Amino acid sequence: MKKYIWIILFLFAAGCAACTHTGGISKPASYSFTIDIPEGWRKIDNNRYLFVTKESPFLQYIMVQNRPIDRSFRNTKKKMKREMFPEEAAQIIIDELISDQNLVNLRILDNTPATIKGHAGFKILYTYRDSEGEVYKTLYYGFIKEDTFFNLRFTAADQVYFKRDVGDFRNILNTFQIVENEAA
Amino acid sequence: MVIQSTAPINKAKTGTRRSNFFFCLSCLLCIALATACSTYSKPDVSLVSDALLTNEDEQMLWQKSEQEQLAFENNGLIYPDPELEDYLNQVVAKLRPQSVPEDLVIRVKVIKNAYLDAFTYPNGMIYIHTGLLARMENEDQLAAVLAHELIHCTQRHALRVFRRYRDQPAFLTAVQHAMLKTKGLQEMARYLGASGAMAAISGYTRELEAEADLLGIELMTAAGYNAKEAFALFDYMISEIEQEGLEEPFFFGSHPSVRQRVDNLQNLPDPVYLKERPVIKNRKLYFAKLGQLFLDNAGLDIRLGRFQAAMRGIEKFLQIKPDDSRAFFLLGEIYRQQGQAIDTHMALKNYNRAISLDPDYVAPHKAIGLIHYKNGHHALAKKFFESCLQLSPNAPDKAYIQGYLRQCTLGEEG
Repeated sequence: MKKYIWIILFLFAAGCAACTHTGGISKPASYSFTIDIPEGWRKIDNNRYLFVTKESPFLQYIMVQNRPIDRSFRNTKKKMKREMFPEEAAQIIIDELISDQNLVNLRILDNTPATIKGHAGFKILYTYRDSEGEVYKTLYYGFIKEDTFFNLRFTAADQVYFKRDVGDFRNILNTFQIVENEAA
Repeated sequence: MVIQSTAPINKAKTGTRRSNFFFCLSCLLCIALATACSTYSKPDVSLVSDALLTNEDEQMLWQKSEQEQLAFENNGLIYPDPELEDYLNQVVAKLRPQSVPEDLVIRVKVIKNAYLDAFTYPNGMIYIHTGLLARMENEDQLAAVLAHELIHCTQRHALRVFRRYRDQPAFLTAVQHAMLKTKGLQEMARYLGASGAMAAISGYTRELEAEADLLGIELMTAAGYNAKEAFALFDYMISEIEQEGLEEPFFFGSHPSVRQRVDNLQNLPDPVYLKERPVIKNRKLYFAKLGQLFLDNAGLDIRLGRFQAAMRGIEKFLQIKPDDSRAFFLLGEIYRQQGQAIDTHMALKNYNRAISLDPDYVAPHKAIGLIHYKNGHHALAKKFFESCLQLSPNAPDKAYIQGYLRQCTLGEEG
């Protein structure tokens, strides 16, 4: 009986994991991107965004995403729109973060306009604490280009790794290039 | 190394089909698990008449609960309103049966969270979300939820579940982990701990929840509350979940859980709740005690984009404080953020009302500036943005406002 229970649990967990994506099918983003990944960082495969880390995602990671603006967020029902100002897009991201049940002790340290490779966008700096008490800091850049919301974020354990690796993130930011999707 | 983002699009349909398959499979397995859970027949512990904490396992459960609560409360999740807490504790005192041992101290605290939920730790600590409190209309409805939670505690449901599964801890942990994965609540579950996560997210077994429904109704009726209000609350929650397509992660916000509450109440063998009796209701008192919470929770609902729920919360608040500038500002935000043409007019009307009530309130000045700016009325927008910086020279959003002002100047010149 125990054997069957584990099989059931495995299938149950697999089913659940398959259901965790939010937003359903949305129109493909018209734009994609390229970046240069510095030495020592490795890519972790994910078909929704680009995810790289140096040592471990628990210590630091960089995530870059080209997201169709009509795709739903996990928490807020608000959606991005083409004509939104960077501050309005930033507000949606902050609403999403504040509504996230997994981020506790969230503190928004900074929310300012930013230019990302010539595109008017925003920059948010925030911290949060995990259940072990570790404080993480995230630097989040975002902008809307037509029907695509680009975001580039760097998250690291605040004590040592944020200061040490934020330079690599800035280097990545400098190599960021938008590419038009052929399929779109 | 140059990396180009992968296009997930072609896989989307296949992925969805696979998701649907696993979803169906998960549902079947959930039903199987729930059925397995509900085959439980007889409590294997004596109930409230027992002296508390005479058993090692109950002592351990309480200690664990206290540790979990400490970690949970130290993370800024509690809604700090001592007067409201006093009121909630008074309602619990009215409900508390005399047979409950005195050393079981039952307390209520409020969690700042717009989702619908309430849950209980084995040691008598009840937590209720601002979202659930904001949906209630009177003290009877509050009593319905608190009585349900009180029963979990007095009937030692956590201990009963623990004893049932203590020989299979890996099984229980694995079920919980699997369930939590679907909700995106892994971190929250760690904060709540094992007891809290079960109570808040998955609920106890179906039979124990049914017992809490049945005995809860008896408890509230004995205390003089109108049990029909329990129906009214759950019906309202079902219609809100359906109409607004809410997909909530917690027990009281899940459509099947609330539907089960209604079904259980309808199937009560002796419909004591239908008998005519004087009732407490205390609608005015309830509104007076909750006042600020209605508004604060509306702010959380706005963040979640649940504009209709937020609007109802603000309307409740305005019944108590009809001249509150923040309430009108938030109404303006609801209209502006929905972004339809007719809404702009309503947004401006509410922002102006907020300013007339408190001329130094910066937020509506900026919001009006944004509306004019979007409509290309740069001179008007400039006036409002300038007043923002005059009222709050070091505002956190100063850089954005300065950017708008530069664009307004260019717009005027152009």
